Amino acid sequence: MSRWRYFFRRLLLSVPVVLFGLTITFVIVRMGPIDPVAAIVGPEGGGASRGRIEERLGLNEPLWQQYIDFMVDMLTFNLGQSWVIQPGRSVESLLMTYAPRTLWLGFWSVLIAICIGVPLGFYAGLNPNTKSDYLASFGGIVWRAMPNFWLAIIILAVLRQSERFFFGLNWQSLGVDSALIGQPPLDFIAFTDWVTIGMISIPVGLYFSFETLIASIKQVMPAAIVLGSAAMGNEMRIGRTAVLETINSNYVETAKAKGLRDRVIVWKHVFRNAMVPLVPIITNEAFILIGGSVIVEVIFGINGIGYLFFQAATEGDLPLVGSLMFVFIILIVSINILQDFLYTVLDPRVGYE
Amino acid sequence: MSMNEFDDKTLRERIAKNPQPALAWLAGALVLVVLELGRLASGIVQVGETTRFVLGGIASVPGSVEESVASTLGGIAGLVAFGLTVLVLLGIAAILVKWLLIPWTLVDRLGIEASTGVKDIVERVIVTGLLVVAAALVVLTPVGGVLEMAVSALTRGVEWVGSLPTITSRELIPNEGYQQPDGSWEGTFLGLSPAVAWALRVAVVYAYALVWLAWLWRGYETFREHYREADWTPRDDSINRFRNHYWGMFGLIVVIMFLVMALWAPAVSPATAEANLYQPYEHEFEYYGDDGVETISHGDANFDSRSQGSHTYVSVMSYDDYDRFHPFGTNTDGKDLFTFLAYGAQVSLVIGLLATVLMAVIATALALITAYYKGVADLVTIVASDSIISLPRFLLVLLLSVLFMQANHPVAEIYDGGLLLALIFAGTGWPLLWRAVRGPALQVSEQEWIDAAKSYGQSPAATMRKHMAPYIAGYMLIYASLSLGGVIIGVAALSFLGFGVQAPTPEWGRAVYEGRSHIDSPSWHIATLPGILVVLLVTGFNALGDGIRDAIDPQSEASDGAAGASGGGG
Repeated sequence: MSRWRYFFRRLLLSVPVVLFGLTITFVIVRMGPIDPVAAIVGPEGGGASRGRIEERLGLNEPLWQQYIDFMVDMLTFNLGQSWVIQPGRSVESLLMTYAPRTLWLGFWSVLIAICIGVPLGFYAGLNPNTKSDYLASFGGIVWRAMPNFWLAIIILAVLRQSERFFFGLNWQSLGVDSALIGQPPLDFIAFTDWVTIGMISIPVGLYFSFETLIASIKQVMPAAIVLGSAAMGNEMRIGRTAVLETINSNYVETAKAKGLRDRVIVWKHVFRNAMVPLVPIITNEAFILIGGSVIVEVIFGINGIGYLFFQAATEGDLPLVGSLMFVFIILIVSINILQDFLYTVLDPRVGYE
Repeated sequence: MSMNEFDDKTLRERIAKNPQPALAWLAGALVLVVLELGRLASGIVQVGETTRFVLGGIASVPGSVEESVASTLGGIAGLVAFGLTVLVLLGIAAILVKWLLIPWTLVDRLGIEASTGVKDIVERVIVTGLLVVAAALVVLTPVGGVLEMAVSALTRGVEWVGSLPTITSRELIPNEGYQQPDGSWEGTFLGLSPAVAWALRVAVVYAYALVWLAWLWRGYETFREHYREADWTPRDDSINRFRNHYWGMFGLIVVIMFLVMALWAPAVSPATAEANLYQPYEHEFEYYGDDGVETISHGDANFDSRSQGSHTYVSVMSYDDYDRFHPFGTNTDGKDLFTFLAYGAQVSLVIGLLATVLMAVIATALALITAYYKGVADLVTIVASDSIISLPRFLLVLLLSVLFMQANHPVAEIYDGGLLLALIFAGTGWPLLWRAVRGPALQVSEQEWIDAAKSYGQSPAATMRKHMAPYIAGYMLIYASLSLGGVIIGVAALSFLGFGVQAPTPEWGRAVYEGRSHIDSPSWHIATLPGILVVLLVTGFNALGDGIRDAIDPQSEASDGAAGASGGGG
């Protein structure tokens, strides 16, 4: 099988995956133990309002018709609206408000994990079986086993008492003032002016506040560290093994034998090859971010998508839950396709196994 | 040497030939059992009650199916559905009964001639038929009443045995007492202070467990030396490798410490769960107050020994005002945190094990089937598992448990939501396990001996069970041990959010939630200690998994780090 045929087969396979994932969502939301109308109408709602809502949601139709309607609506990105949390607001507009916060959090958690985990892992791999290797490896293993919810409250407690732990440095007033809990300010960048040329609007005025940016980063940092903790440990572990494997491979021996300088060997031959097994680990982080952001967002008071989902689920906003689930499915499936694409491009052995 | 030389003697015959070492080992084991007979019996009663409860739940399934079908399609369809459901359930039961209780084949005894596949089916039909007859007898005739009486008599007997004193019982080494004005202790073991008495009992528990482990190891060595026919098997090498694998041994020790804590929760906790956690106002104890010896209910005493911030707290390794010793301090309602955590360990263990075993069974069965048949079966399973993986797992688990709990579904009542959580984790977790063992299963299915078994006419089920399953069992053990840690973290995280195990059943995540705002005060222990226990336990399971992997397959690379349980799940 050629590489591209392999890739297209994977691509084709994602169609039934999305359909089946949606079907599971439908079963949970519409056929589950909770009546979707009950939470919307509330305890005082009479039979008349009940009937009206049932009709608007299409719940009075036979189940197979509901199923087809649901699938068609979702697949044409007709995501509907919220019914309980913010009644009447469309899902798209909710996403526009909530998603940037989660993206900002996710961006920093991936970045921090890579910037700390990979160098530490490489360092441990280059100095195997030394004290610092053991320290780094053991630290990584423990760091990774920490449940996010616990790590989050511990970090919050430490930062609240930061003067006691960091020799009088107060985290809250360090650099720029920021609160510990709450969403990071995202208005550090904005477009102020738009010029319309024909059909297209082009932003011309740009507002940018460096201070707000710093405050925003500082605010999101503790949450991002917690969210990225598991990934950081993984990257460290994989990085260490990868470096160890490459360093013992024949081409490194050859490079040494022909008298190449250590620096060149490490940078040119070891690191580049050790990066390869890290690629899936980094893309896999996306799953962790999508699922794991709930707890971090709830504890750190960030009104992101995870928090939105949590609210929707606990308050019985089932139509919103269904739509959000669809968005998550699409996200994860696209990331998978992206990963397959990267493999296809990067690794010539794909499809020949 | 031909294979026949190995096969013609069963273990029983080999022991009968040289019974002395086996009897010596058995005598030691019996002594150990007798020492803890009471606790063992009460454990059996508990398991029996749960089994009965579950059976009752299953028995009510046909009725509820009949009801729901009858309400939409009419009475006759309801009856048909009832009958079909009964048959399906008994058919499943027949497979279990056949597998567990009937070691010979009925078909051969009855002399029925057929091809292998047909034989299997005929066999199952016969067992199902027998079960139908048995069920009808129990339900429709007085036999049911007699059976009921027999069971209750047996239960009473076992309960009586359960009341016997044991070496680790609280009555033998009591740690609850009060201090008299002259400083001496009344009511505790040998007049020791409650702290020492408690520590002594914990030490006895762990010593007993250690002796058991040593004795089991001794039993294995006896078997290897006297009764195993092969001098060497590959498993010996695996075990030797594991014994020299310090990281794996560390994991094993942590896991065993946890297991002992969970199994002996009533013995290692300073107070009983019944009195301290579940019904504190209905249990009283004596203490030495201003007017000499007084009695007070646990609930009132708990109220005065709450740990809430810096104004009122009972910290680690300290006594409260009523001379009760709290090794881990008290929680926000004044309940003993160690008792809470020990019983919480039990809850975590039960949920984790149940979920992992279910997951492992589903994943193994699917891996065998997909590897054996390949083609369409494989493709369908790929799509199904990819679809489940494409739903973010933690969100799915959260959603399902929220829905079931808010609807007060009967499943959510069992074990305060524990059974529901186990089912949800198993239902969402099997694709990961299946993916992990699919590779090894495919590899085995390509081997020549599978072809040989096929052409020899062995039935597919037998081929999978005998010739494929042993090869993926090792991998399953590794990944199951890793996923157990993940389930424990997930359950704790859900309980932290308020949708896991409900009060009053103790759960570690809920302790973290209760103590979250007191971390920077003298009541720091409530949230900190359970978290440290989770970290230790998950690290232990990961280390154990690493150890088993290196022991089974020394060539394997430690590169699939994503398989490990990590805090990312919660």
